[in-house]
Amino acid sequence: MKKQSVFSRLTNPKYIMVYATIGIFLIIYAFGAFLYGDKGFMTVRTFVNLFIDNAYFGISAVGMTMVLITGGIDLSVGAVASLTGMFIAYGTSVLNLHPLTCIFAALVMGVSLGLLMGWVIHYLKVPAFITTLTGMFFARGVCSLISRESIDIKHEFIDSLASWKIYLMKYVDGNWVRIKPIAFINFNVILFVIMIIIGTFILQKTRFGRNIYAIGGNEQSASLMGLPVGRTKILVYGFNGLCSVLAGISYALYVKSGWNLSLQGGELEVITCAVIGGTLLTGGVGYMIGTLFGVLLKSVIPALITFNGNLLSWWGKIATGLLLLLFICIQRFVVTSSKLKKA
Amino acid sequence: MRKNLNLSSIMQSKVTWAVIAEMLILLVCFAIRPDFFSISYQPSTGMLYGSLIDIVNRSAEITIISMGMTLVIALGGTDLSVGALVAVAGAIALKFLRWDVLEYTTPGDYSVCPYILVLTVPLIICALMGLFNGFLVAKGGIQPIIATLILMVCGRGVAQILTDGKQFTTGYSPFRVIGQGSFLYLPMPIIITIVVVVAVALFTRKTAFGAFVESVGVNPSASRLSGIKADQVILIVFLLTGLLSGIAGLIYSSRIMSNDSNNAGLNFEMDAILAVVIGGTNMSGGKFSIIGTLVGSLIIRTIVTFVYYFGIVAEATMAFKALIIAVVIVLQSAPVREYFAKRAAKRVKVSGGVQA
Repeated sequence: MKKQSVFSRLTNPKYIMVYATIGIFLIIYAFGAFLYGDKGFMTVRTFVNLFIDNAYFGISAVGMTMVLITGGIDLSVGAVASLTGMFIAYGTSVLNLHPLTCIFAALVMGVSLGLLMGWVIHYLKVPAFITTLTGMFFARGVCSLISRESIDIKHEFIDSLASWKIYLMKYVDGNWVRIKPIAFINFNVILFVIMIIIGTFILQKTRFGRNIYAIGGNEQSASLMGLPVGRTKILVYGFNGLCSVLAGISYALYVKSGWNLSLQGGELEVITCAVIGGTLLTGGVGYMIGTLFGVLLKSVIPALITFNGNLLSWWGKIATGLLLLLFICIQRFVVTSSKLKKA
Repeated sequence: MRKNLNLSSIMQSKVTWAVIAEMLILLVCFAIRPDFFSISYQPSTGMLYGSLIDIVNRSAEITIISMGMTLVIALGGTDLSVGALVAVAGAIALKFLRWDVLEYTTPGDYSVCPYILVLTVPLIICALMGLFNGFLVAKGGIQPIIATLILMVCGRGVAQILTDGKQFTTGYSPFRVIGQGSFLYLPMPIIITIVVVVAVALFTRKTAFGAFVESVGVNPSASRLSGIKADQVILIVFLLTGLLSGIAGLIYSSRIMSNDSNNAGLNFEMDAILAVVIGGTNMSGGKFSIIGTLVGSLIIRTIVTFVYYFGIVAEATMAFKALIIAVVIVLQSAPVREYFAKRAAKRVKVSGGVQA
């Protein structure tokens, strides 16, 4: 195969959506810097906080992106993440288990639920929407069976993990000092970045990743080509289950409690992140880097509203909706124009 | 009859399985509580009481919404915005009823704006929002699930901003009638449901509209070539779904005599889609069944009532709902139905039964 130059690879039209996401993120960020630069919008701290406050959405969005690329959908992620938090909270405070035991139980639960849903979707040919909706009802119901009250998580291990942080330093006059205002990254941010890297690696560098794109492009052709369609689909849902559990752990570290109704509607926020990041719900198209910027773009809006201080937080929802509309129109335009070129 | 009725085709029909499932759940209810089927007359309110009446009454919102959802799914799409529209309708109605909420905080038996506005404006706004969805789908060529995701995300925000994020309450008695009144011994929501179901059934089955919807759902380009105005069909279906969500929103807010922009219509889109799918309409579009959807909606509500009888907390009903729905869906899945249909066909052959 001919080796393409870096430039021609980067200007490939298939990355247009990713560039659009990054561009609009930069525009909104610059807009915020222009309006609230004097209040500290431009600081590193504000930027790092975007990661800290939305790490759990981002972790879940990694798995969701893969599911969407196969042409499926997973509505159970919010409920599974909530159930994970419930496992940790109930396990540590009522059953006196070690958090790692609870996390292990949650991982087994999440991954096996994902694999089961993938199996039902592929072999029983039940639409993904309905299967994962049932999964969502199930996980949410089990949450409520465990407890209807919010349970605080009090355990040294969780406390130390949640408060563990790396301060960002800068080099001044021969020694390292903490930058002002103080900015730090914590376990959640590192987990988020690692998951994005793993996701990118799986999608771009492995056979499994190429199978995912092939199935999303055309499932029938993929199966006629002899690709393991069933196995790939089931594993994708299993991986998404894993991501949901990790998102649940991250959320539990963030709020330090388990509640049966936490993250309600979270699945649609995660899907919104992926769509804003350029993933097509019809399958076959999507990149992890787009999803990363989708998460950042979605999280910069609440940050702007907080900086404004006068607006009701509900405007955030409306702005997100409008953003979604804008991206869908861009996608539509890109898809039609690329079709015209082919014709 | 249009269809050739034989055992094999009946076993293959999804509606059959839905009816069987509903019967089984009702039978189990009856076995646990022998008074389950009893219906009594309460002279003080002029209404009939009983578990069956309650199931139909409480399923009204989902049934009404799922009538529109059936058509959307028959077109091969889904409408995620219905739950948010329920919240919007409630917020607008309460806004008109209690425009004076800042001056007087105690709810009384009065309405600030004319009652006709309270009823019509929410419906018109919801229909317009439905039309917006339809416009994105028909003219923009956007997948329905994403097009309606926009209003699903925005809708609750709009509802909150209309009411300044507050919850209004009212005591206006004509408004109470919608959700809690009665007519011909039956609770009002049941009457509204019957009217809606009959109207939608007549509209789709006595005119060619139903056939148009099925045709567009199977192949939009082919239907366009054969002279069906596909765009118009899509617009009408989404407009209808928006309107029906508005009606459901009025019933919901009349039941609680308040607006609850956070929880009104929460997960209604999910329940409505489930009702349609359990009722035998395929999510990939094409043939639809109004009766099937009606049965599907009743199944969902029966399960909830059934779980209440076991004395399980309200939120946990979801787990049981999931289990029962999982069984229904697995029974309805293509491989399982084919297996049963084959077995039925074999039995007919072995016994030398009547050949179809």
